[in-house]
Amino acid sequence: MRWATAKKLFLLAVLIAVTLTAMRCTVPERMGPVSPGIKFQDVIAPVQNGLTWLGKQGKYIVSLPVSMVGAAARCQELEQEIERLESERIQFNEYLMENRRLAALLEHKKIMADNYNLLTASVIGRDPGNWFATITLNHGSGDGVKENMSVLTPKGLVGRVIAVTPSTCEVLLITDPRSGVGSLVQDTRAPGIVEGVAGAAGIVRMIHIPNNARVEAGQAVVTSGMGSLFPKGIPVGRIISVQNEPTGLFLSAEITPLADLNSLEEVMIVTFVQPEVATPQAGG
Amino acid sequence: MRFILYPLLLGIVILLQSTVLGNIAIAGAKPDLVMLIVVLSSFVAGARAGAFLGFTGGIVEDLFLGNYIGLNALVKMTAGYLAGAAGRRLYRENTVIATFVAFFTSLAGFMVNYLLLFYLDIAIAPVQALFKVALPAAIYTALLTPFVFQRIFRSIQMRSRDL
Repeated sequence: MRWATAKKLFLLAVLIAVTLTAMRCTVPERMGPVSPGIKFQDVIAPVQNGLTWLGKQGKYIVSLPVSMVGAAARCQELEQEIERLESERIQFNEYLMENRRLAALLEHKKIMADNYNLLTASVIGRDPGNWFATITLNHGSGDGVKENMSVLTPKGLVGRVIAVTPSTCEVLLITDPRSGVGSLVQDTRAPGIVEGVAGAAGIVRMIHIPNNARVEAGQAVVTSGMGSLFPKGIPVGRIISVQNEPTGLFLSAEITPLADLNSLEEVMIVTFVQPEVATPQAGG
Repeated sequence: MRFILYPLLLGIVILLQSTVLGNIAIAGAKPDLVMLIVVLSSFVAGARAGAFLGFTGGIVEDLFLGNYIGLNALVKMTAGYLAGAAGRRLYRENTVIATFVAFFTSLAGFMVNYLLLFYLDIAIAPVQALFKVALPAAIYTALLTPFVFQRIFRSIQMRSRDL
């Protein structure tokens, strides 16, 4: 063997040996988290990133004319799909809210079951004018509804039934100027009459409160049950201000009803009241 | 045919007013669509026709409500007559003028309603009636005039040409 060939073979052997050693040394388990390979990747990562971006742009530019075919139709389809999904989302929200309202009514019905027989009804119409405040419900004499039955929500008193047909009934809201409810201030037991105020956007007034009664804003007002069509102890509202009546003999108070009378959807009609009903908590 | 169409249109309007219009109430006041149709039609058609249209519109509303039958008939008849009388003296093709006429005649109609409530033993404080009910409702009703007046005007003009 000539010297030159031997030298080449030796260098090859060294190369193979170094390579094999390098291979052994760069087994991932031995290297730990930061290997030279990883460091190299760190160096070339921005270049890789740039090249990948360029590749994507190139592909986009090349394929753009092809992808434009039918794009308008697909866009329209997607728009319709968005509209449909949006409509479905609104509908689901509506079901969710209805579910919450009905669950609250059911809960209230369970609590009140010992004292009252309650019939749940939906609001199907309102007085079209501005002077009166009445609502029409979807239950009538066929469901056992009679005139003067009280109507409530879980929050408080709504009004009383004033007219009944076989399948509907009309309810006079406590905000109607024709309405009068015998009431008491819950803390001080000061009596008065809660009457509706025309066009007052959900405010009622308690009149004929004795002059010496301790009445202040924030106190709850409940039905008195005395000589009244309404059962005793139903929450009516909260006092927001107190004034002297022009005669000077009595006080009057402005009250916000606890029930949201402007956006009623479901209510409960009290079809039967057990005698000696305990007073429920206002605002319940 | 139009003898059926007018009460039918009023029926639809009253139905809308008793269901969906509550949702657009501002501070408790909502527009009176029957009043709006009556006063605008009367403004174009004249005083006598206005009184008739008002009475018809009002009685349809009263029958729909089922109580105090005649209350709305008298209220709308007054408003219709006044709007018709105003139409004889004013330029009838202008929407702005029609808006003002709608406001003043509606307000007059609402105040007649207030007086009739006394007759029915329903006492409401005058300040409350004027500032919380009559004025807001008249303003709200009149503000809808630009949306319907030209349509009503053209419809009545076409009918009178046909006759």
